Amino acid sequence: METVSLIDLFGIWVSIFLTLAIFSFLYDDNPIYKLAENLFLGISIGIGTIEIYYGVFKPNLIDHLADLRWQSFIPLGLLFLLMMKITKKYSYFARLPIAFIVAAFAGVKLTGEANANLMTPIAESMPDLQASWAQYGFWSWENDGAGVFSDLVLVLGLSACLLHFYFSAKPNRAMSGVSKVGITVLMLSFGASFGYTVMGRISLAIGRFQELLGLDKTEAQWMLEGSEEPLSTMTNVSIVRWMTVVTAVVIILIIARWKRQQNNEPTDQAG
Amino acid sequence: MIRQLIRFQNMDRRWIFLGMALAIVVPLLAPINFPFKIDERVEAIYEKIESLEAGDTVFISADFDPASRPELEPFYRANLHHFFAKDVKVVIGSLWPFAPPMVNPWLEEIAADHGKVDGEDFVFLGFKDGKELAIKLIADDVVKAFPKDLKERDTATLPIMEGKRQLQDFALMMSVSAGFPGTREYVLQVQGQYNLDMASATTAVSAPDYVPYYKSNQLFGLSGGMPGSAQYEKLVYDKYGNDSGLINARPIATQALNVLNMGHLFIVLLILMGNVAFFLTRNIEEA
Repeated sequence: METVSLIDLFGIWVSIFLTLAIFSFLYDDNPIYKLAENLFLGISIGIGTIEIYYGVFKPNLIDHLADLRWQSFIPLGLLFLLMMKITKKYSYFARLPIAFIVAAFAGVKLTGEANANLMTPIAESMPDLQASWAQYGFWSWENDGAGVFSDLVLVLGLSACLLHFYFSAKPNRAMSGVSKVGITVLMLSFGASFGYTVMGRISLAIGRFQELLGLDKTEAQWMLEGSEEPLSTMTNVSIVRWMTVVTAVVIILIIARWKRQQNNEPTDQAG
Repeated sequence: MIRQLIRFQNMDRRWIFLGMALAIVVPLLAPINFPFKIDERVEAIYEKIESLEAGDTVFISADFDPASRPELEPFYRANLHHFFAKDVKVVIGSLWPFAPPMVNPWLEEIAADHGKVDGEDFVFLGFKDGKELAIKLIADDVVKAFPKDLKERDTATLPIMEGKRQLQDFALMMSVSAGFPGTREYVLQVQGQYNLDMASATTAVSAPDYVPYYKSNQLFGLSGGMPGSAQYEKLVYDKYGNDSGLINARPIATQALNVLNMGHLFIVLLILMGNVAFFLTRNIEEA
């Protein structure tokens, strides 16, 4: 037996309603979807504002100013200059804090990018063929195709991709052939990324359906907070499923009615 | 036949949505179990954690929100079960504002299952804004980055933080990441500089971008999307499922993976049918 409060039940229903409301867009744009979309945007902006205030402004600026830490007036001044962007006459003052932000981020990112995204991958893209042969041989089915063959494909594919972007070379048959290999490798890579993206999106849909069908819960009977009797003879999973079915039917009826009204509108105007 | 193929090509796309919904709902209600293989990148995470000693402390950066919950929640849960089953202490922080209210209840629930004490065996430090700059600060000084934990206790005085000042003081670092800021930023900013033992569990969309980090040993393991979570779940729950207080743990990703396979089969079928219809009707439409 699991204890549940009325607010929990309401929360579960809101989650079901909003999921179905967003899914209803797959049929057509409709007021239920618009309601969910606007709620999502409004709540996101509201929570974001509160998070930024309590997570950034308050601890890093307001509390420091309240403690009269004078160095905190520097970020306050930069903030003030940034806000100058909204005026026409003094908008150029905003360039100072923007330059500061750009310079700081360039400094922070430069060393990391150069080391982690350039030097290390370049070093690792030249495999040790001798070690690979000793460990996997020419091709190992047990290790997803690891071996000398895959290492050679990596080196040749990488070289072909880089040569494809070498625009200073005169176009000739050899370069054109290499370029085609480069494009093929790039397409394979984009295809793999696209496949992963599709998988990610289906995974999200599965997550929502698991919740709609109550499969995210361990099956048990619900007992309302403060009561000693079970809420229903049904389990929590069955209750969630009924909530989903009833909400879906209500949404379908509302959309059907709205569609009918919409279809009648041109006739009314014509009449 | 040809007329039907032409009709198929021009069919209302809403039939595809309905088909996909059925491809997901039917196997959820009537589960089918497809076998799956454990990827070496996921196994590397499992093996590394297996090699930890009881009493070691690890740092988890939980950088995800409800939008990536289906893919990363199963990994996060299995990962916590794995650490607690091995009596490894867990310190968690986040660079995403929506993460703490979502992931902290899971941490407390799983810690309670294992009888762990807050502040001694685990702690949630909360959210730190500042993206890359915050990552730099966390790596340099965890206590300075999070002076108070989520429950407003002084981080420096917590028993679990004894002797833990920098990220390199932790036995390993786990980035459960759904995007920016997350795994990539940790690798760029601090992994190389501090030579951190770091692994990542990420969404399917991000996984291909992080494979080079695994290949170049910047990450010792990588779990991508729901398949990665399912594989890790299988490894952890097969070993600890019945005899370490994990009996309440449900393999959510494993259940979803079978459904994912049906979804993929449906898409492959549509691609095949679409191509067959296109090639068979091409000449007729041109004529």
